[in-house]
Amino acid sequence: MNIFRRELKANLKSLIIWCVIMALLILGGVAKFSAYFNNPELLKILDSLPAAYVDALSLRAFNLTTISGFYGIMFIYFALLGAIAAAMWGSDAISKEERNKTVEFSLVLPVTRSKVITAKVLAALVNCIVFMLVTALISIGVAQNYKPDQAFYNFLTVEMEGMFVIELVFLAIGLLLGCVMKQYKRSSSIAIAIILVAYFLSILSGLQKNLDFLKYFTPFKYFDASELFRSGALSGAYLLLSAAIIVVCVVAAYLTYNRRDLYI
Amino acid sequence: MSATIYLYELRSRLKSVITWSIALVAIILIFFSIFPGFADQAALLNETMSKFPPALLAAFGLNQVDLSSVLGFFSFIFLFTQLCIAIQAGNYGFGLVSIEETDLTADFLVSKPVSRAQILNSKLLAAITSLVITDVVVWVSSIAAFMLFNADRPYDTHTLILLLLSLLVFQLFFLSLGLVISLLVKRVRSVTPYALGLGFGMYVLSAFSGLEGVSVLETITAFKHFDPNYIIQHVAYNTPLVLLDVAVIIVSLAVSYWLYLRRDIPAVS
Repeated sequence: MNIFRRELKANLKSLIIWCVIMALLILGGVAKFSAYFNNPELLKILDSLPAAYVDALSLRAFNLTTISGFYGIMFIYFALLGAIAAAMWGSDAISKEERNKTVEFSLVLPVTRSKVITAKVLAALVNCIVFMLVTALISIGVAQNYKPDQAFYNFLTVEMEGMFVIELVFLAIGLLLGCVMKQYKRSSSIAIAIILVAYFLSILSGLQKNLDFLKYFTPFKYFDASELFRSGALSGAYLLLSAAIIVVCVVAAYLTYNRRDLYI
Repeated sequence: MSATIYLYELRSRLKSVITWSIALVAIILIFFSIFPGFADQAALLNETMSKFPPALLAAFGLNQVDLSSVLGFFSFIFLFTQLCIAIQAGNYGFGLVSIEETDLTADFLVSKPVSRAQILNSKLLAAITSLVITDVVVWVSSIAAFMLFNADRPYDTHTLILLLLSLLVFQLFFLSLGLVISLLVKRVRSVTPYALGLGFGMYVLSAFSGLEGVSVLETITAFKHFDPNYIIQHVAYNTPLVLLDVAVIIVSLAVSYWLYLRRDIPAVS
């Protein structure tokens, strides 16, 4: 419990910074969006288009004349920021003890190594939840100016669920990196590499049909905004895949950290 | 300027420079290699889109980038190159002097018979050299990619050179901003979260630059200042914004020197 509380306090500054970046993103986006909202010219054009066209270009999910369409576009950025923040919290939780030369101290405390990790993971988890809730609250607050309907709230809820799952996946990956890497400096470099590769793969997989298989390798593609909009729920298969990644990473993290040599 | 510090810094950064360079070459070549197949698709898409009302295309920012042209496709890749470069430069900037304090070597360094200005000079020069080496790799691989995968479509060399050269100011922006922030805060414990926050933060803020209209928040992000679409459309830089960048760089560097010369450097107890 003490470790948990200490971790929360230590992470607070980073949490606030990430929330500020998120707020800037939403406010910056909404400033642009206000020009599109219920823009009569655009509405007329959209109405005149055949329904098949609109579906083919997923203009419905990304229809910028509605607030839901705006948040459809925002989703990938929510996911991206959530992933980076979570990966950093996960890997930093373990590696910072070695960097700050406090690892010997925290491991001579009368708690097992597993308990240390559990407390740290729970603290990072709280951060992820708060980050997601802050994003949701800012979104709802900003949306009030645009008369959101029930469909918007449903869409936002499912988006936030998606963001949270992506956060969890990257938190688990970050945690594993922090536990496995013998040198603390390496865990954050590899975390950057994984985030960038996942992001680039998600873009690459959308470019061409025969690169579509890449989507299994990047969590950013597990939950696609237009798919979320259509089905209104997270896809079960990808939820299972995410759960598998999380379980494997967390179990491996505990196993390795319990028997590893510390870098002093 | 002290040659010893310069060489030491350069050597300690060598591995990172090699890793980033390889990653950037891979991004440029892999993305570009799908261009020949993609160009035909994109040309088809363009044909379909030309039937759309121009206002609609403008509204969704679809009229700016022609992905079937070599430069249009490259602008798309270039944005990712910029993202990587921003993180790398931010990393070097944030770590430039703060790393000595986390590694508890700062008091050792300042006790050497060199002035603090000399220390900062040598460190900055070494970081800039590392960034320029990365640039050269990006330049060479971009030009090679253009020659290999242009699918016999024409492109303007002048625009390409403008795009590639813009990386220099872009890097200095993140390097100097990282440096000044690292000196303004009391202590940088870990460099990576800062660099990722700065790089990705600015990247997502420019996410809506394809849409019409101006948002004040956009003018603070360097990704907007060096928007590849703008450079390709106008065959010139967005001069006022680039000058703003130059001003930010000069101010950050001046403040960094001022702060570092007066910084209270903790001794190892």
